[in-house]
Amino acid sequence: MMSPSVARRTIATPVLLGLLLIAFALVAVAVGSKPFNQTVIDIFLKVIFVVGLWVFVGNSGVISFGHIAFACLGGYVAAWTTIKPMMKGMSMPGLPDWLMQTEIPYWGSAMVAAGWAALWALIFGSVLMRLSGIAASIATFAMLAMVNSIYSNWESVTAATSSVVGIPIIRSIWPYLVAALISVFVAWAYGISRHGLALRAARDEPTAAAASGIDIPRARLIAFVISGAIMGMGGALYSHSIGIVTPDTFYLGLTFITLSMLVVGGMGSLSGAVLGVLILSTLIQTLRWLEAGVQLGEITLALPGGVQEIALGAVMILILMFRPAGIMGNKDLSLPQRAALETRGPTGPRT
Amino acid sequence: MSLLALSNVSVRYGRLVAVRGITFSLGEGEILFITGPNGAGKSSLLRAIAGVTPPSGGRIDFAGHDITGRAPEDIARFGLAMVPEGRDVFGGLTIEENLMVGTGMHSATRGWKARAATGLEAVYATFPVLKDRRHAQAGLLSGGQQQMLAIGRALMTNPRLVAIDEPSLGLAPNITDQVYERLIALLAMRKLTLLIVEQSSTRAMMVGGRMMLMRGGEILLDGDARALGQSEAMQAAYFGYGEP
Amino acid sequence: MGSLLQVLFDALSLGSLYALGALGIALIFGVMRLVNFAHGDVIAACVFALLWPSVDAVAIIFAGNLPWYLLVPFVLAIGAALSVACEALVFRRFRHANPATMMIASFALGFVIRYFLLMLFSSRPKSISLLPALSQPVEILGARIPLLQLITIAVTMAVLFGLTAFLRRTRFGLEMRAAAENFTMARMLGVRANRVIMGAFALSGALAAAIALILGSQTGTANIMMGASVMLMAFIATVIGGMGSLAGAVLAGFLLGAVATVMQVILPPDARAFRDAFVYGAVILVLIFRPQGLLSARGTRERV
Repeated sequence: MMSPSVARRTIATPVLLGLLLIAFALVAVAVGSKPFNQTVIDIFLKVIFVVGLWVFVGNSGVISFGHIAFACLGGYVAAWTTIKPMMKGMSMPGLPDWLMQTEIPYWGSAMVAAGWAALWALIFGSVLMRLSGIAASIATFAMLAMVNSIYSNWESVTAATSSVVGIPIIRSIWPYLVAALISVFVAWAYGISRHGLALRAARDEPTAAAASGIDIPRARLIAFVISGAIMGMGGALYSHSIGIVTPDTFYLGLTFITLSMLVVGGMGSLSGAVLGVLILSTLIQTLRWLEAGVQLGEITLALPGGVQEIALGAVMILILMFRPAGIMGNKDLSLPQRAALETRGPTGPRT
Repeated sequence: MSLLALSNVSVRYGRLVAVRGITFSLGEGEILFITGPNGAGKSSLLRAIAGVTPPSGGRIDFAGHDITGRAPEDIARFGLAMVPEGRDVFGGLTIEENLMVGTGMHSATRGWKARAATGLEAVYATFPVLKDRRHAQAGLLSGGQQQMLAIGRALMTNPRLVAIDEPSLGLAPNITDQVYERLIALLAMRKLTLLIVEQSSTRAMMVGGRMMLMRGGEILLDGDARALGQSEAMQAAYFGYGEP
Repeated sequence: MGSLLQVLFDALSLGSLYALGALGIALIFGVMRLVNFAHGDVIAACVFALLWPSVDAVAIIFAGNLPWYLLVPFVLAIGAALSVACEALVFRRFRHANPATMMIASFALGFVIRYFLLMLFSSRPKSISLLPALSQPVEILGARIPLLQLITIAVTMAVLFGLTAFLRRTRFGLEMRAAAENFTMARMLGVRANRVIMGAFALSGALAAAIALILGSQTGTANIMMGASVMLMAFIATVIGGMGSLAGAVLAGFLLGAVATVMQVILPPDARAFRDAFVYGAVILVLIFRPQGLLSARGTRERV
């Protein structure tokens, strides 16, 4: 699958990113405040989503607006499998009997969610991956709208647009950290695998790649399924982090935020995906804090609601204008002494 | 006073240098053939003159204006008309519409069509086949007809200089003959300056005029087309033998 | 007979909305290969232009009180101006960027517009009564058709004929069509790039405003999300119609309207809520068999 030398050469990237995430977790533990804990959990969730998105978008070069649909599928798996049967009966009476009686722990629901999302990624992907470029992007958007429309209307199994409550809330940061680490390592392993390499070749030189026997739709499909699984897992954990789920949690807002994190960090590299989350999360937190109001002597200064999104959008546009490859460009984090050798990294240069 | 003057013009795409510091000038009424093998930088040079790829260094003057780095539409307004490689006719537009696109710039909107009519008649006189199919979609024309349309379209802008990139590309030799026949007929009728890029020197020797040989982004030879075409130096320079 | 006529008018008026939206998107795609995700938010902004900014639940009607012959040009001008402003401030700097970068930038710009509206007007839908006289039904051959539907269809037809005439007969239209096919070649023939692109944005913005007027009178509400669903269908129409083909976009818009209306009628009542999901699914199926769209525009096909 992957050559050991490539693995050895590039392992520094996921390890460094992993250490960065662990450092965040340790800071959260050291600070010990509940809201900060929740913030760090939120960051880990975004890391999962953006890394999941990167597996497909970064490697294939096809922009997907639809990946949050897989998070939606995963989020509802958590609701279906972990809420107490009695409560399920009230909010989602249409569930089949066996599912109604199922009650599994959160990590089980995350795994089932990954599988369920991967299955649908396979089904949607086998159709969508035949398209390319802009048509593919718009079709992924249609997929998102389709999933949202189904989940917003299927009263008996999703409670339509009302919130499904009673999902066990996991407040410890460790499960989220572990899931984020798993995503980073899976994404790295995929990136240096034969399939990942083939897909990036197809992204940079489609004609040459096709001529050398790469089946582009199939290579894209593999990435789509893996990224779908990561998104599904993230969706389930997202539900566990807040305890409720609605279809609109997983719609345009989250699509926009995850996509902007990927763009700002740089979709050419895994490090870009992770750093994009960290940078924009910091910005979002600062803006939230300003929106809540800052005490300056006698007066409270508060930014009006919506400034957060406007600022995010503006940052995204400016980054696209002046640094279209994102903050990281196409480079990956690596150990300094080997930096000269590493510029091609696991993701390779983009032309 | 020359119509077109380049001094030390370079063109680069990223790290690749396509044209290296070229200097030459072209007088009003001249015919200049630029020949050279594939990758010599001929098309890059034309694109720089037309403003499509701005030069990375040097200066280009045309009709008394410094056009270095100017937009293609401004350069067109000064009287430079391009017939690009591959013709680039607007396939979804009719032949007449193709011809009309370039007439807008010299004319106020009111009465624009009436004013263009004389030009249209002149082009149709030169290329009768275009008149016969004036309402057909340009994408349906044959290669030779598209070439004639592209030249006609350039003439409609009332240019002082027409630059043609590989007019014989993809055409059968007898069709190429027809295209050149019309070009020569045109020269007899209007005062035109021509800059023609071709891979081979055969056409240049037939038509006559001035010829330059480009290779590796530089001008190696410059002189009378017929004299140069038969010289040993030409052969040597074209294929690159006899160099240090 | 009456109900069949009803379905026909429903299909035509829904299709009109989609066709107008698709046209606005295809016009811009044609001249600069930009998939403009901000289009839906321009539609929403046009509706809110009728109100005075306030976060109260009750809408303070401002321009909405103008008589219709002033109101309509006012909203069209707002749409065109906003769209041109998007071009001048943002998209102009992306002229040489690849289509994917431009697409994400437009997505971000759409968000900026939407949350700007949220900041000024809050996210609650507000009820407005825009041109209330239009909601009266008219009786045609036993079918009761809302006057608004008839006007929607008539306006769309007028816009389509007007635009066709503009593109075919005027100098600016010709330059625009040439630029849509081959932008560089058009510039080498003296066509001013900025003017053509500005013109396309102005037209597209005015089309967005027309949709805003229709949607606003139809639903009687102003909502910051109101452009989103029309925009999505309009996108799909431009893809099905073949990116960049104006005729294809319009045709596909009407086709989508017809499919959605027919589904509304033939689907069992339980499944009607999923109408849009069925339409999206059908679209994905169409794309498998004709990935280049029903009428693909020359020269716009992407490689591989």
